[in-house]
Amino acid sequence: MHDEPSCRRFSRRAALVRTGMGMGWLGAAGLLAAESEAASAASGPALTARPPHFAPRARAVIHLFANGGPSHLDTFDPKPVLEKYAGREIPNNLPTERRTGAALPSPFAFARHGASGLEVSELFPSVARHADRLLVVRSMHADVPNHEPSLMLMNCGDARLVRPAAGAWVTYGLGTENQNLPGFVAMCPGGYPIKGTENWRSAFLPGAFQGTYVDTRKQKVDDLVQHIRHPLLDRDTQRRQVDLTARLDRRHLEARQHDPLLEARLESLELAWRMQAEAGEAFDVSREPAHVLARYGDGVQGRQMLIARRLVERGVRYVQVWHGEGQPWDSHEEIEKNHRRLANECDRAIGALLDDLVGLGLLESTLVVWGGEFGRTPTVELPMSGTGVSEPSGRDHNHHGFTMWLAGGGVKGGTVYGATDELGFKAVEKRVHVHDLQATMLHLLGLDHTRLTYRHSGRDFRLTDVHGRVITDWLA
Amino acid sequence: MSAAIRLRGLLLATVTLAAAAASGDDREAFFESRIRPLLVEKCQGCHGETIAEAGLRLDSRRAVLAGGESGPIVVEGDAAGSRMLAAVKRSGELAMPPDDPLHPDEVATLERWITDGLPWSGPGGDAAAAPAADAEARLASALASHWAFRTPERHVAPEVSASFDPTTRAAWSAAAIDRFVAAGIAAAGLAPSPPAAPRDLVRRLHLDLTGLPPSAEEADAFCRDPGDAAYAALVERLLATPEHAEHWARKWLDLARYADTVGYAFDGQESRYPFAWTYRDWVVGALVADVPYDRFVTLQIAADLVDPPVAPADLAALGFLTVGRTFVGNEHDIIDDRIDLVTRGLMGLSVACARCHDHKYEPVTAADYYALHGIFASCRTPPELPVIAEPPPGPEADAFRTKLAELQARVPAHEAAVHVRATRDAVAHAADYLWETARPAPRGGDKRPPRLADGYEMEQLLLDRLGRKLDGCRDDHPLLGPWVALKVLTDEACTAALPDLLAVWGLDGDTMNAALRAELASARPATLRAVAEAYGRIVARAHAVAGTAEDTAELAAVREELTVPGAPLVVLPTEAMRVANREESTKHRSLQRDVTRHQADAPGGPRRAMTVADKDAPQDSHVFLRGNPGRKGDLVSRRMPALLGGAAVAQGQSGRLDLARTIVAPTNPLAPRLVVNWVWMHHFGRGLVDTPGDLGLRGAAPSHPDLLDDLARRFVDEGRFSLRWLHREIVMSRTWRQSAAIRSELAAADPDNLLYARASRRRLDWEAWRDGLLAAAGTLDPRRRGGPGVDPLALDSLAVRSLYARLDRQDVPGIMRVFDIANPDTAVHVRSRTSVPQQSLAVLNAPLVVEAARRLAERAAAADDETFVVQAWRAALARDPAAEERSAAVEWLTAEAAAAPAASAGAADFGPRQRLAQALLATAEFQFVD
Repeated sequence: MHDEPSCRRFSRRAALVRTGMGMGWLGAAGLLAAESEAASAASGPALTARPPHFAPRARAVIHLFANGGPSHLDTFDPKPVLEKYAGREIPNNLPTERRTGAALPSPFAFARHGASGLEVSELFPSVARHADRLLVVRSMHADVPNHEPSLMLMNCGDARLVRPAAGAWVTYGLGTENQNLPGFVAMCPGGYPIKGTENWRSAFLPGAFQGTYVDTRKQKVDDLVQHIRHPLLDRDTQRRQVDLTARLDRRHLEARQHDPLLEARLESLELAWRMQAEAGEAFDVSREPAHVLARYGDGVQGRQMLIARRLVERGVRYVQVWHGEGQPWDSHEEIEKNHRRLANECDRAIGALLDDLVGLGLLESTLVVWGGEFGRTPTVELPMSGTGVSEPSGRDHNHHGFTMWLAGGGVKGGTVYGATDELGFKAVEKRVHVHDLQATMLHLLGLDHTRLTYRHSGRDFRLTDVHGRVITDWLA
Repeated sequence: MSAAIRLRGLLLATVTLAAAAASGDDREAFFESRIRPLLVEKCQGCHGETIAEAGLRLDSRRAVLAGGESGPIVVEGDAAGSRMLAAVKRSGELAMPPDDPLHPDEVATLERWITDGLPWSGPGGDAAAAPAADAEARLASALASHWAFRTPERHVAPEVSASFDPTTRAAWSAAAIDRFVAAGIAAAGLAPSPPAAPRDLVRRLHLDLTGLPPSAEEADAFCRDPGDAAYAALVERLLATPEHAEHWARKWLDLARYADTVGYAFDGQESRYPFAWTYRDWVVGALVADVPYDRFVTLQIAADLVDPPVAPADLAALGFLTVGRTFVGNEHDIIDDRIDLVTRGLMGLSVACARCHDHKYEPVTAADYYALHGIFASCRTPPELPVIAEPPPGPEADAFRTKLAELQARVPAHEAAVHVRATRDAVAHAADYLWETARPAPRGGDKRPPRLADGYEMEQLLLDRLGRKLDGCRDDHPLLGPWVALKVLTDEACTAALPDLLAVWGLDGDTMNAALRAELASARPATLRAVAEAYGRIVARAHAVAGTAEDTAELAAVREELTVPGAPLVVLPTEAMRVANREESTKHRSLQRDVTRHQADAPGGPRRAMTVADKDAPQDSHVFLRGNPGRKGDLVSRRMPALLGGAAVAQGQSGRLDLARTIVAPTNPLAPRLVVNWVWMHHFGRGLVDTPGDLGLRGAAPSHPDLLDDLARRFVDEGRFSLRWLHREIVMSRTWRQSAAIRSELAAADPDNLLYARASRRRLDWEAWRDGLLAAAGTLDPRRRGGPGVDPLALDSLAVRSLYARLDRQDVPGIMRVFDIANPDTAVHVRSRTSVPQQSLAVLNAPLVVEAARRLAERAAAADDETFVVQAWRAALARDPAAEERSAAVEWLTAEAAAAPAASAGAADFGPRQRLAQALLATAEFQFVD
């Protein structure tokens, strides 16, 4: 339905591009300006907001990545029957990365929350306050029990090959609403998760769609955002300098019959000037009142959730919040101690983030997604030389079945979708593959995952490759 | 038909196409987006070309209608009456797919498809014949119809239109390029643009050929004499510079997906390639020497195979194949990367899709792909990279060598230690290994051998070997005979038989190993397990006494059977890392890392080439069904793609040399067009074919097909593959020398400059922008060329051009991404050109720019502001300031000095003149080329 009007906006060259002669193009929306500078000058830069394929439910995404693989059995998928098997072999032990032994009941208590009675463990009391807003998907499954390919699958839709991240696809499809901020931000305190920048790469999409990495362990705005301030000049002095450049540029422009390319360049300098102020402000949580800061809690998780909220408030399209460098949720041992510590670090901040999104009226249009690259086994991991696991007290990776939850963005809250088997090993009811999650996320954003394509190497690529189905049961 | 009319036709056709797509051939779209993926993913694994269970194939409309052994499966238009629907609904006796039922949405989709009468499009449709014939027919039809699959031919360049003014007409009549272009311009009722102003032209020429702006002096000199002769001389001078080679080498490195790291590295593994830069330097050297393109490419694919053999330095050319990602060691991904590089990279033909299935669009089959796969699978990385240049002798070189030898020796030492540890463990568990051959423990889903009570995990490798050994023994074998005889009995039978057997075994004349006999006699085992334990004890004793006075011939015989190298319980040194535990593997990687780091970091080492070599026994590859190495299809002989003639490779070689020769054969339709278009694109900002990496059926048609073909033909026949010849043809043309001004009639008639009736203004790419900053700052040092890469953002790298950056494909600096450098993961013919505010943010605030401004101010230093301004202008923009610019700048400096001193610390060092210098570096004039 958008085709007709947007067609008319196209230059002839854009039409060539669109029919697959230039770079790839997505089904409907406006011209991908990255293709040519002439075109971009005419129709705005690559990140200009573009209409989706159909009316969206969400306009932004916050993906809370509990990297390392949080245990669904200790958080959102209670399996009391594990008590019965405690210390015994289970009948259906499935192959995972390492050896596992007997069943390991969850050391955490579950309770029902909200009008929906959704079950959440004691690890996430603040998240549990929002039980009626959560869509808990207990039947996720992925392909292999290893971090690297599973991270790639979750983020980029392919376990091995070099493919763009979901956030890159979304900003490619929709642009972003605030040109003074990056459209896709990936925050991870202390360094990179496993697979590093590949998790937010643009791959064959133009570099403009790559996630902008922010190390949220850092506190000063200058350290958070690259080139956000002149290293030596204050704002007034720099303004005079920019004015001089602009004056020289205008003269240059006049001698060149106002080439739209040069006009765009002049505009971009002003844009950057405004961005300095706006980005500096957006990332500066110290501007929040003390009571807000207190609700999010001290520490890096509170700070990065707050930044996430401030970014989405300002029109950033896709925000990823990683728990931390490496694979923090990877509790191969001492899961009781480790999961308690990890949840304790982030629960309050996630609760506050949801509170604020509700309070600001943003949750309706912001899809919040929580989860890891997989879950963990209902069985205990056995010690093995070289793994550093000396006591059987943790759980191994589990891609056969795990839980993710979604909130806001047009999903049905207070709902449990799908189920794992009796012991929580494998998703058996209403199985949801990672590609299905991705297809549905795009759907919520108003994008048809089969039409969001990009021509590369002679073929049209998409986030979900030839897979994925939209799970309409999730829609509110 | 004139170029312009063709161009219009093309535009019209594509606009119409767009409209058709918009209104939608819904049925086709429905099939392609919903049905084909479903059939491919859920059905064709068992009902396809290679496996057709129940005689049923679901990969063409005809086959679907034909049904299988048990009859038809669909009735066109009648979903309810179709068995296929009942099967996927699981409503009848047949339930398909067997393991993973279709989702209700998918069932509904299939239902609609049947109801709609099975619409089908593309491959497998009614028009297509049986698959083999299908592939042949597709090839024949593509060869006959697709412009890029025919060998390019000469074309007569048209006369220049009489509608042009006489001067223009005369000027544009000389060169073939201009006459082809002029025809298009004239047909559109337009005229070419006038020549660019000399100062614009000299800047464009310098930047285009060398990636560096001219100095003010060079620009002045040209402006004093901008005549054709002086221009031609300048072209020759610049083409001969090393800077020219450096600039174009960087473009080639985009195509070669160059980087200095392997990509993702495991914990403890070194991610750097210590010698990738020798490939980069080889490319520069080859361009300096204007090595003809056919040889340039041949060396990069097969330098080790050409005859006569090349000088060792040329082996570095093979880095083309080897500097890609290593995909955490996945051999097939590495091969796939190389196939894509030589096919799409060098010929614009996407073959990689055929890894999983015959190509959906191009006439390329999975057999074509695996024929190439065999070529690369027949190559190996030599264990030690060849030295191409020794360091100067001296203490540094000696120290390097000594340390390297020490580090290298640690690797086999560690492997030996692992081998000893693993063998010791295996010997200690000899009884368990034997027991496992008799009473195998149930395997889990991971199929791994069982873990024993003491935590030991048996090695499958050794179990297999022991199994084979026992299979080869009869029950009269002196050592293993008793075990072979007993292990087939049930526990009860064994226990019942043992007393008698023990008595028999003790008799004279028995050939049983005396040590075993003694052990059995004293232990008197009552169960099979106890027999195994007895074996375990003598194996342990035999192993322990080796080389001591207690050794006996009988115990030596035990070792001979079970614990000497090659025997079942010994892990060979070459197998050590297959049985290594995590700790041992990590240590192994870190020891290798130490070697690599030393080579990368320590001075005094030799240069090495990142080569490949043919395996001793080249091998063909099997087709991997759906790309899965676990599902092998037919074996395919190594050969060229059918599209390129399909010739078999030479006997006894991998076939790399044949492949290289096929690619650069003068009759190859793709490679010359690709490189000619690629060079053209970098000169003009847009290719004659707008999809420079895709000359296949779905690529763009050329805007000026006769020009492209003529130039490609002449590049081969007249230019003898000389890239310098090609550059000269292009930059000497009037087309290239036009002004970039957008005349109003052009803005209306040809806003995208498809006709080349003017030059296109362009933003400098990352390398030229950074190099330009350094040129303005006066920090570039022409003596700093080549060698290991540097950090391009470090302030101590200001003497070095951007080409010499060390590139980590896992961690491309943000500023470089923002300026659209090529993704180093895949062959890139054209970079994206985005316009994002982060670019301007870098211009305003990046330390690189601030430092360049500081140096520029230093360089322009003068007592009075007036002189400073002139010198700063000349350094930054290679020209004098106009009078009004000069006075404005001087006024600005005065006002700035009078303004309140900047508050921030450090601002004092960055005074009015430094700020002015940065303002100049931030101008559009600096960042763009007219």
